[in-house]
Amino acid sequence: MERTVALQSAPSSSRERFNLFYSRHRHTMEAWIILTPILIYYVIFYVAPVIANLFVSFIDWNGLQEAKWVGLANFEAFIRTPLYIQVLVNTLFFAITILLVSALLGFLVAMALNEKVKGLGIYRTMWYVPTLTSAAVTAQVANVFIAPGTGVISGIMKSLGQPELIWQINTDFARVFIIVFAIWRGVGSSMLLFLAGLQGISTEVIDAAKVDGASGWRLIRHIILPLLRPMTVFVLVTGLINGFQIFEPILLITNGQPGNTTNVMMTQIYKDAFQNQDFGMAATQATIMLLILLWASFLNLRLMGQSSTDEA
Amino acid sequence: MATITQDKPTRSPIRIGRILLYLFLISTSLVMFYPLLFALVGGLSSQADYFRSTWFPTPSALYFDNWINFFAGRDLWQWVINTMIRVAWYIIVPATVAILCGYVFTRLKFRGRDLVFMFLLSSMMVPGIVYLLPTFIGFARFPGVGGNDIFGQGGSGFINTWPALLLPGLVNAFYIFLMRQVYQTIPRDYEEAARVDGANTIQILVRIYFPLLRSALIVLVIFQFVAVWNDYLNPLVFAGGNKEIAPIALGAQRFIKGTAIQLGRPDYPRMFAVATIVTLPIMALFIVLQRYFVQGVQGFGLKG
Repeated sequence: MERTVALQSAPSSSRERFNLFYSRHRHTMEAWIILTPILIYYVIFYVAPVIANLFVSFIDWNGLQEAKWVGLANFEAFIRTPLYIQVLVNTLFFAITILLVSALLGFLVAMALNEKVKGLGIYRTMWYVPTLTSAAVTAQVANVFIAPGTGVISGIMKSLGQPELIWQINTDFARVFIIVFAIWRGVGSSMLLFLAGLQGISTEVIDAAKVDGASGWRLIRHIILPLLRPMTVFVLVTGLINGFQIFEPILLITNGQPGNTTNVMMTQIYKDAFQNQDFGMAATQATIMLLILLWASFLNLRLMGQSSTDEA
Repeated sequence: MATITQDKPTRSPIRIGRILLYLFLISTSLVMFYPLLFALVGGLSSQADYFRSTWFPTPSALYFDNWINFFAGRDLWQWVINTMIRVAWYIIVPATVAILCGYVFTRLKFRGRDLVFMFLLSSMMVPGIVYLLPTFIGFARFPGVGGNDIFGQGGSGFINTWPALLLPGLVNAFYIFLMRQVYQTIPRDYEEAARVDGANTIQILVRIYFPLLRSALIVLVIFQFVAVWNDYLNPLVFAGGNKEIAPIALGAQRFIKGTAIQLGRPDYPRMFAVATIVTLPIMALFIVLQRYFVQGVQGFGLKG
């Protein structure tokens, strides 16, 4: 068909013919001119690595000698080795604890900031700025706070006449410090998201509920929380996804010590890949992490879909 | 505020509520800010002053030597230059990709459009660690560079070189998604009018869409700036062996870790000074562009 049309209008030069073709197929042509390089790059840097990682999960390889296909042996080793299970449990423990405390605290502060307070910008800055600091630099400096003998907490305990806390032998202290540090760096995001959600609720709805006698906890429970549901789901799921990938604080503060009690998946993958040269196990853990977080993402989509149909 | 409490202690429960509210906000905000203030003042204390205090450094006089030495040294500027090269690159390329993709996915009709969009978006679900090892191996075994033969053996490929710090992560699905959302709010009339006047696609993108996308682009610039300024894992894995190209987060972390013992004690003031200096630009950015930060975080939230 194109050919007959082209013959009818009988363009004289090839340039005219191109212009005619271009104007007729502009959408498709422009789309693929733009998308082709982007998709080539995308396949190389985003799709291929995921497939390669999956492939490496099935081989035994140290990067130098010949790789050996081992099937599901790496996954079996993951389940059978107490270290890997401990690391998975630690990761879940840190992710969930940090998530719940950050979400609750973020919500409380957002509620307080939503009360038309004076100096909103200042409080918001003080809560949000830790989120923007470099995790690596702040984690490295955080060591100053817990260093035995010369650290800040050590000095405070001494001034209070308490025995010194030495994280290298005190698992609880090491864990609590990591959690406090992670909450300090992360709570700003959930605060800002909840604040955005609260500011999106029209004051008329709240006023109407107040006229009907709802106040305090009942107002929160029956009016605010249901309206905030989409934002809450978002905060919880992204918080879980981020918490699962906690890395710098662990690597630079405790390095998984004492005795792997603070070791998490990211640091173990890093160690297996770049220190133990066990590429197979590193890739296997990355695959397991991918599966867990894919599940979380789908959960997110499903819950979000649910809440939007609820509204409709 | 104290006077207010004395004025009407019991008659107005609302006022007491507000006082409690402010007490809560002020005290928790101070706790949040305590480590940053500690680092600021600690970095301006002398060794002796620092170790005299417990809860908070109380220098008898401000001590600027650590700041001056750090600014006078070569390290800081090398890291800043290295980081700014990455910042510029990781703003320009993802922004261009997002502007173009937003145009493609909202203004053009072609077969497979939604499929390609979902394909690009799917990368948002993959945690970064999955890319790390394969990308590392791909860089290390890249044929023909860094002492590698054509089979990618023998050398270190792109590892510890600039390409390893500039090649990954250039197509950011989140920004494509964001830009598409903004395009959907722009009426098509502008483009149609311009086409009638004979403008081509490149002119339309540059003269019409680019200015209209301004606030979304500012959000992109801010978030990319913060992300690249703080990026640690990628430089550590891909270029950890080359001090010359280390960006600021990696460089500063190693500098702090390597800070030697002074006068028989660790030189904490110097560590605090360095940490404060590398954090200040981000804080300044936030204070100046706070409006856009909030807008950006809200954009992350609920538009899907």
